[in-house]
Amino acid sequence: MSDEGSRATGEREDAAELTESLTDRLVAAVENDAAVSRRAVLGGLGVAGASAVGLSGGASASGDHGDTSPHGRAGVVGEFQSADFDPHEYLREFRTGTVKMEGGQRVREFELNATLREIEIAPGVTFPAWTYNGQVPGPTLRAVEGELIRIRFSNGQEHPHTIHPHLKNVNPRMDGIPQNGPGVIEQGERFVYEWKAQPAGCHFYHCHSMPLKEHIHRGLYGAMIIDPDPERVRQNPREYVNYHGPMTDDLRAELVEEAELRNHEYRADEVDEMVMVMNGFDTNFDGDNEVYAANTRAFAYGVGSTDAENGEWSAGETVKPIQIQRDQRQRVYLINAIEFDLVNSFHSHSQFFDYYDHGTTLMPTHKTIDTIMQCQAQRGIVELDYSDHDPGLYMFHAHQSEFAELGWMSFFEVQA
Amino acid sequence: MSDRRTDGGEAVSRTGMPFGLPRWVGAVTPLVLLGVVVAGFVLLNPFAGLATGGALPDVTVTHTSLPNDETVVLHVTNNGPDPVTVSQVLVNDAYWDFTMFAGGEATNTLAPMESGRIVVPYHWTPTWDIHTALVLSDGATFGHTIVAPQVSPGLTGELLGLLAVVGLFVGVIPVALGMLWFPVMRDMSDRSLHAILLFAVGVLGFLAFDAGFEAFELAAEVPGAFEGNLLVVLGILGALLLVQAVSEWNSAGDVRPLGLAYLVALSIGLHNLAEGLAIGSSVALGHVSLGAFLVVGFMIHNVTEGPAVVAPVAEGERPSLWHFVALGTLAGAPVIFGGWIGSAAYSPTLGALFLAIGVGAILQVNWEIGRMVRRRGSLVTPANLLAFFAGLAVMYATDLLVTL
Repeated sequence: MSDEGSRATGEREDAAELTESLTDRLVAAVENDAAVSRRAVLGGLGVAGASAVGLSGGASASGDHGDTSPHGRAGVVGEFQSADFDPHEYLREFRTGTVKMEGGQRVREFELNATLREIEIAPGVTFPAWTYNGQVPGPTLRAVEGELIRIRFSNGQEHPHTIHPHLKNVNPRMDGIPQNGPGVIEQGERFVYEWKAQPAGCHFYHCHSMPLKEHIHRGLYGAMIIDPDPERVRQNPREYVNYHGPMTDDLRAELVEEAELRNHEYRADEVDEMVMVMNGFDTNFDGDNEVYAANTRAFAYGVGSTDAENGEWSAGETVKPIQIQRDQRQRVYLINAIEFDLVNSFHSHSQFFDYYDHGTTLMPTHKTIDTIMQCQAQRGIVELDYSDHDPGLYMFHAHQSEFAELGWMSFFEVQA
Repeated sequence: MSDRRTDGGEAVSRTGMPFGLPRWVGAVTPLVLLGVVVAGFVLLNPFAGLATGGALPDVTVTHTSLPNDETVVLHVTNNGPDPVTVSQVLVNDAYWDFTMFAGGEATNTLAPMESGRIVVPYHWTPTWDIHTALVLSDGATFGHTIVAPQVSPGLTGELLGLLAVVGLFVGVIPVALGMLWFPVMRDMSDRSLHAILLFAVGVLGFLAFDAGFEAFELAAEVPGAFEGNLLVVLGILGALLLVQAVSEWNSAGDVRPLGLAYLVALSIGLHNLAEGLAIGSSVALGHVSLGAFLVVGFMIHNVTEGPAVVAPVAEGERPSLWHFVALGTLAGAPVIFGGWIGSAAYSPTLGALFLAIGVGAILQVNWEIGRMVRRRGSLVTPANLLAFFAGLAVMYATDLLVTL
């Protein structure tokens, strides 16, 4: 009996010991986690941030590992080596073509040609791209609602190509498909596409030759932005809102102002406008992307390194965050040009934004959201306001974590 | 250069060199001309107009090592004819930090047939598969999955000691135990002794197949540039001919029984070296349960090798005792060395080569025993054939016990 009792006591002591050790471990773990998340907040990093860049910071935060982390560092190794494409330049580069009047009609002319080009999509990794004007994505074409867009297209590449616009196009000959109009444009051939700029919004153009998947994934796509015409908005305000209430003068004026802030010939320069084309590259042609990005280059808008403890970071030579002014309205023309995956997405850390589906309305179709998803060829306008945020790094990325870890992860650097 | 013959014909000297040149010139001339032709081909490059687009890159992850749970090391070889650049490394579908070492320095480029080490600081979870992929500069990818990863223990004195003990138990002791049948064998009639010898042939024959298949299996993992299958063929034939040449030179065609015993011991030793290699590499990869069952299996399996070693000297004069010690050591101890080599520098290329050498040696020894039996009586008797079959069957049965 006494034996039993002592054994029971022993068991109880063991259990107490075990409980205590487990408790200690839990406390230690929670402390660590808390420290990490506090650092992450300080550095403007969230969970994905910690996994994507912050872990090296986590290690230096513990103070005894120097630059090396026991967990390693996620992300690509090295810097981009070629200057074939600058994603930062592309981000805010809008081509407005040349404008002329023809019989009372404003015509905006562009030149596009299809070429073959090796592009660098991750540091040291090249991809044999088919391009419009030697770049992926192709040039961002910008016109004003109601104008005639004229594109002189020449194919300098051995594969047949077309340009298919995601516009409301009333002439089937201009649809840019093999079965209609001029059909595909063969090597050395030229064709002039003419489309009416409508509706206002954030649109997309791409090659529609067969095999379609390959022609798109190889790089033949770009953004097309149609700015709303404020005069037209004043006369037909209802076409620009998903709203059925009374159209007051105030609302009308507000819509006209929004149209002016969208239109590059009025006040669009008051907004910090950016183009992000979400894309991916299947480098080994197995039907699965090895690189994901916003604007072609993996992690292009990421940071070189971070010290999450002090909230400090430094840019790489070719990789750096997008610098934005805190008090300026931020507008992202967002397009999903992904191939081989059904959807892509955009998620902003520590921030909620307004979203305009396809950009065809002047009032948000979604308000106060932090994640949107887009199917292939879907696009929209994201408007962000960082005016009440502390300066620092704010991550944004695809919230398919696989895409994020394979390159579609970036930062805004909010500046006071 | 010619002599008048009595029959009026002319005898032409066939040994003379044309133009009276010294003989070495004749030997060297074709090589010089080959050099000229090759140089001309390289310089003029007559195939330049043939746009073949170059060879595809080919990189193999030959094996991996996991020194601790925060590091993954990929051992890679460039099989292709062109240099390749490893630009990025994916671990579980994510870009990850890495450093590649080749030729003693940190570099991203591997020359043709060059091997390198890619060190990835990645905190992995034991038994959770690690999917890795190398992304070359042209976007080509080469994947490798580390199934059920475990920390490889690394080369420590403790491990060497452990492998020595394991080698002792699975190699030396069973062979020594098997050799204890020697006194019984000495009392046997010629007929029975021949049957025992054929039993040994069966044992060895099974080992030859066993090791041969395993060699070709390993050869599939050998980087393409090293032609694994042909390497195995070369190893088998090379070892066979080499051992044959040694025994011919040693005995002018008639192998003495003791010599034959040593040959048997050598070939079994070579086979056991490969066996040790397998154990050592399994330990290095963290993939072996060196449980009692495995050791017991190996002991039962290898105990049949003992009589095979001493059967040739069973009749006639008994060799001195130290010969037995030497024979046992030669046959059994290589397990220990194999284990050490396997745990320190395992590569499928090395493994396949050792196995192939063992197979070649075994084939030669079987040929030798066959000759010996035929010289002293009849090779193909019912007893001999049954004994041969028994040798095969026993090995098959005991082989079931030792699956690494």
